[in-house]
Amino acid sequence: MVNLNFFLSRADLGNTPYVVLIVYLIILLALGIFGYIRSKGTEEDYYLAGRGQGLLVTSLTIMATFFSGVALLGFPGMVYENGVSAMFIALNLPVAGAAVYLLGNGIRKLGQARGYVTPGDMIAGYYGGSGVRIVVAILGMLYVLPYIIIQIKAGGGLAQQLFGENMFNLGAAALSAVTLLYVLVGGMRSVAWTDVLQGILLLSGALLAGIAVIISLGGIEPFFSKVADLDAKQLTMHDPKESKWNPWWILTFCLFASLASIVQPAQWMRFYAAKSSKTLRQSAMIFAIILPSCFLFGVMLVGLVGRAVHPPIDPNLGLIASNLPEGLNKPSQIAVFMLGDQLPAMLGGLGIILVSVIMVAIMAASMSTADSNLHALGGVLTRDIYDKFINPSATEKQRTMVGRIVIVLATCLALLVVSLGENTEFGKGLLETIMQFFFLAMAFSCQLVPPAIDILYVRKGTRAGAIAGMCTGGAVVLATYLFSEKEATQYLKRIIDLGCLAIIFNVVVFTIVSTITKKVDPSHIERFKRDLS
Amino acid sequence: MKKESKRGKLATALIVIFLFALVMGPGPGSLLINPHGSEPKFWLGVPALYVWAVFWFFVEAGVVLIAAQFIWKKEDENG
Repeated sequence: MVNLNFFLSRADLGNTPYVVLIVYLIILLALGIFGYIRSKGTEEDYYLAGRGQGLLVTSLTIMATFFSGVALLGFPGMVYENGVSAMFIALNLPVAGAAVYLLGNGIRKLGQARGYVTPGDMIAGYYGGSGVRIVVAILGMLYVLPYIIIQIKAGGGLAQQLFGENMFNLGAAALSAVTLLYVLVGGMRSVAWTDVLQGILLLSGALLAGIAVIISLGGIEPFFSKVADLDAKQLTMHDPKESKWNPWWILTFCLFASLASIVQPAQWMRFYAAKSSKTLRQSAMIFAIILPSCFLFGVMLVGLVGRAVHPPIDPNLGLIASNLPEGLNKPSQIAVFMLGDQLPAMLGGLGIILVSVIMVAIMAASMSTADSNLHALGGVLTRDIYDKFINPSATEKQRTMVGRIVIVLATCLALLVVSLGENTEFGKGLLETIMQFFFLAMAFSCQLVPPAIDILYVRKGTRAGAIAGMCTGGAVVLATYLFSEKEATQYLKRIIDLGCLAIIFNVVVFTIVSTITKKVDPSHIERFKRDLS
Repeated sequence: MKKESKRGKLATALIVIFLFALVMGPGPGSLLINPHGSEPKFWLGVPALYVWAVFWFFVEAGVVLIAAQFIWKKEDENG
């Protein structure tokens, strides 16, 4: 969990963080209202901003949706814990960047030609039938729901740390209300515009963190001479017998985790919303270059030198609170721990403002993930469930209204779960289970990759094959969760990324079943090929 | 037709280079630099493994840039 107490307690920041926070929230609401004024009231406009988003909005909303608060805090924490080997996961980002164009542009073309709004629209549109749509919707929801709940919990934790111990529920409710308001009134347009602000904050926060720490240590040379003090384990690749930070796991993560985040429902809808091929091509370049740079030359370096400057008390013991320097409770707090100390001391008033901006950037990362997923959930439940199974004759106006009701209900439900988790034993257990599913979310969503590649490039798969493949992949993910205590499962998860393992099963079953089941009508395939050209 | 085949060859080359970069960077190629249990190496005072990660990032990003400029752009222009 984000611990901003460091910012507030380690330096005298005055009221600056509160002022920056309030200004940020006001800007978000203003963008929401502006999005509402510009909206046309149609379903396509609410979910896809009229399919006319340009380069700035598309590139930043894709990047902001890609990363939650984990990016800014979790990555330096991983590097603090595991050293340079953890920095290699930044190399999954150019893979994701390439996929923004290679998958995203085909998705956009089909969406524009056929009026698709959700992933289910495209996959069911190609293979036909309701079964495939339900499977796609379930996999999408398994990604979206844990993300919404965990981000709202993060909002409560933030309020608790800023305003006091008993402010968790009120803070979670207030931050959810702001997010809900702009998602509700402006739809995709407001979500994407707020993502622009949140994306800029996230990227500048990540880069600024690294630069600030290098300057505070006296420049690049003193910085790396500090890093040289680290023990050998921090500067070499790890052994698969001991840790997952070994080349085999990292390679499979780089290949497949990136694709999982690119085909999640919120991201998929952003491809539909992009204006043109040029928009996605340029977004792919920006994504592949800027995002990894912000991590490799920014916030990840903070984690690396943090281990040298603030090492654990006993290097042979685990990184638990009692073995960490005073004030540092867990590795994921290292970036905040260092920056809260050094920026105000180094830059005075400007440092205080920068600390406040980075604090808001952490919150922005959580909010941009929550708003995108809430909006996507509204689309998936309305288009894939309500419109197909509950009220097939619904008008466009009814569908948009139902989407908004879903967003309100999902926010209330998430708040209830988070509140129960804070106040009751039952809720704590429930929240822990949801947290487990949060870690499995990417493995579920990447089951959409094989049917997406088949539709866009291969076109040999069948409906039965797609359903069987996705169900098998999802079952493999669930099986690793159910048998996570077994030694064999633990070892398997150290040498191969879970999403990659599930995709392998998915592809094998998809291929076998597709060879023995009824093919897709060739004239139907031809029409898809024409729409893609 | 000649230009099409040139682009096809470039695409194949870029795919091979990108996959090679993944194997050499985050993949087992990193064991050539500093495998577990070895003494840490430094290049110009910077941990060799970090330089290795940055180098393969530039290769990957370069491939995406070239593909965007010389393959994807042409495909978009040709409809």
